[in-house]
Amino acid sequence: MDTLSRRKFLQLSGAAAVGAAAPLLTMEDIAHAAQTRPLPLGTPILIMVTLYGGNDGLNTVVPYNDPLYFSMRPDISYAPEKVLKLDDQLGLNPAMTGIKSLWDQKKVAIVRGVGYPKPDRSHFTSMAIWQSGAPVTKLNSGWLGRWVESQEVDPMLAISLGSVLPPLLAGEKRSGSALPLGGLVIPTGTFAVDCQKLARVAASDNKLMAAAATSMRTLFSVSNTITPVLKMPAPVAEDLPTGNGGNAGGDSNLAQQLDVVAKLIAAGSPTRVWSVSLGGFDTHANEANAQAALLGTVSSALSRFTSQMKNTPRGKDIVTMVYSEFGRRVKGNASQGTDHGTAGPVFLIGDRVKGGFYGDQPSLSKLINGDLAVTTDFRDIYAAVLEDVLKSPAEKVLAGWTSKGQYF
Amino acid sequence: METGRLEIARLYHRFGFGPRPGEFKAALANGLSATKSALLSVPAVDSGAASVAEPSITNLGPRPAQKTSELIEFNIALRQQVKDLPLWWLDRMALSDHTLTERMTWFWHGHWATALGKINYAYPMYIQNKTLRKHALGNFGEMATAMVNDGALQFWLDGGENTVKSPNENLARELMELFVLGVNRYTETDVRELSRALTGYQIERSSGKVIFNAKRYDPNVKNILGYSTTFNGTSATAHLVAQKDNAKFISERFWFRLISSQIELPGDNSLEKAFENRDISKLVAALTDSQILSNPSYSIVKAPVEWFVGVARYLNLTPSELKTPAQLLGYLDKLAQVPFNPPNVGGWPTDESWLSSASAQSRIQFAAWLVKQADLTALAAVAPNKRVTWLQDELGILAFSTRTRLALDGVKTNPAQLLQLAICSPEYVVSA
Repeated sequence: MDTLSRRKFLQLSGAAAVGAAAPLLTMEDIAHAAQTRPLPLGTPILIMVTLYGGNDGLNTVVPYNDPLYFSMRPDISYAPEKVLKLDDQLGLNPAMTGIKSLWDQKKVAIVRGVGYPKPDRSHFTSMAIWQSGAPVTKLNSGWLGRWVESQEVDPMLAISLGSVLPPLLAGEKRSGSALPLGGLVIPTGTFAVDCQKLARVAASDNKLMAAAATSMRTLFSVSNTITPVLKMPAPVAEDLPTGNGGNAGGDSNLAQQLDVVAKLIAAGSPTRVWSVSLGGFDTHANEANAQAALLGTVSSALSRFTSQMKNTPRGKDIVTMVYSEFGRRVKGNASQGTDHGTAGPVFLIGDRVKGGFYGDQPSLSKLINGDLAVTTDFRDIYAAVLEDVLKSPAEKVLAGWTSKGQYF
Repeated sequence: METGRLEIARLYHRFGFGPRPGEFKAALANGLSATKSALLSVPAVDSGAASVAEPSITNLGPRPAQKTSELIEFNIALRQQVKDLPLWWLDRMALSDHTLTERMTWFWHGHWATALGKINYAYPMYIQNKTLRKHALGNFGEMATAMVNDGALQFWLDGGENTVKSPNENLARELMELFVLGVNRYTETDVRELSRALTGYQIERSSGKVIFNAKRYDPNVKNILGYSTTFNGTSATAHLVAQKDNAKFISERFWFRLISSQIELPGDNSLEKAFENRDISKLVAALTDSQILSNPSYSIVKAPVEWFVGVARYLNLTPSELKTPAQLLGYLDKLAQVPFNPPNVGGWPTDESWLSSASAQSRIQFAAWLVKQADLTALAAVAPNKRVTWLQDELGILAFSTRTRLALDGVKTNPAQLLQLAICSPEYVVSA
């Protein structure tokens, strides 16, 4: 696997088969909901950022003072003077200037050594474990999908950007919704009207035919009369340079996804969980440049998003969580890359976050079969997010898991 | 409604890829029993399928080193083969005269789901496809033995990594869970023991050639499902196939894919009994039993490939000659089903998974693209107010609902739009 795009991943992991069918939303649905029943101000909003492919944690949060780091990774280590120092041991990847600035404002929690018992090195299995939130028993639903099911029915509650719903938001009976980004060609004119006629459920329809009819219904509802939320300008980020600065030209897909999220949050969408993603972290070869470019994208997209939201009344309500399915092997391989590993850092970002380090940094002298030891179970983070951000009991969603971190 | 209309429609759409022009009406006239016997007797030669030339898919050998001119040539050849392979198969599906064999090969591809993406060579996948076709209606035991010795499947499930020194359970687990017995019909110990029996295989990736290396094989006694002996891959597979649960599981899988994935296989054991000797053709015949075919609750959504091939057969379109074949594969990809690329080892999903708004939208565009390339003279020759009923017979549809009739009536003077709507209607997308 070279670059592992999210779509590819979802296809490979059979995500479409998991859980309940996902409603697809149109921009109009969300705009309508935002106008008629906006999210009450002060309601916390969670943004999940999934990095597909296995992000190399050791080159994200770099132990720049550890001689073992340099001896084990002669080809792909970052020199101490290059990293963005967080304390006298650890520094961020040089590409992550945006997140460094948020760290300096005490808005970033870095949880170190995050993983789960008996790490699995398959992308699919490991991502399935992270997204299902169930390392021990296999569950066909995502942890946030189960949270959706614990709430009152609302298709706007949890939204993933893109046409394929990640397992993360899939529940057993109800799921989060998917919002396709662009590329939708809606039939127009009289033919659209005729297609719409097919979208009505007929009395003689069996369950599947009714579902087929319904699937056509929302396709044609985008019309000129509806508030074109997407056409309104994104909130302005006044505190970022607009010229040659780091955020200029950051037109990656992640930035695009977050732009849409920013507009919809600002508009008042009654959505409490958003899911966005970036692929390509499977850096088996020639890692340094590729990973730095990706981390730069994540960092600039998130700092831009944070700045945009700062100017809206909802800025302080937002908590962003960044994670990947595993870290990578400590030792570099023969092709300037790293193979699949275990633990990695998780980032929590926002005004509600108590900035700083959490969890122990896995020791490079105490590796387990060449991999970092897991020092924090990801369920500690999920439990904190569920209880302290989403204000819901964690135990039921996390199959009885009760311990949680104090990040908020 | 004619007697046997539902049964005959199901025979066409589930045991084949849908009727060609005029076929359904002729079948109605011939009656259910004659249609069924015609379906179940596979001819020695299928001249339609035989008219599809074998693709020039060859063993490309090991990947040349980085930055060599050989690598460029290699990549060009590989890209071509990866494109040719699904087109070749889609042509066979669309052009075969007797579709049962291709339909069953398609079923087995989803069963022994192996993806080109990981193999990254077309040749082993081509060989696997021939193996599946050879055994599609034959003996399941022989099929299972052939598949355990299939290079693509072995590579897909890391068979080459499974050695006496460091066992890899991937193949053993899926063989029990997804291919032969079904989940929870074995213990974790059985998985470990079976993986020991499956040691010793090495795979040449580009050719899919499977080599047995005695040094990597664990010759000791293994206990699998309560029976101990010095199992190897072949004898262990035969042991699994001999279990009663194998008949149950394969019956369940056929039921799930061809009859209903909503309603479970009834507990009357009639399918298992038909599969007693692991004769796949007997099981298929049992699935066409009138009790099953006439039950109105067993509707099923056509998977995108089934929908497309059905349209292509009706419109006399040859997939590889569409303009352009790359666009065809693009449409199938948007609908999330390209042959040789199942999403995972469990195969493709069913029913509602194919009914998202995004796929409805892609299907409408895909339909417009296909209809534009078809010769609609026959439809245009029918009087406009008879076209809807005529299409119902032509497409092998049980009955258009009032809803759909109303929609179709609105475009009856425009054959292209009429057809486009008809093939996107719930009654065509779902096999009643």
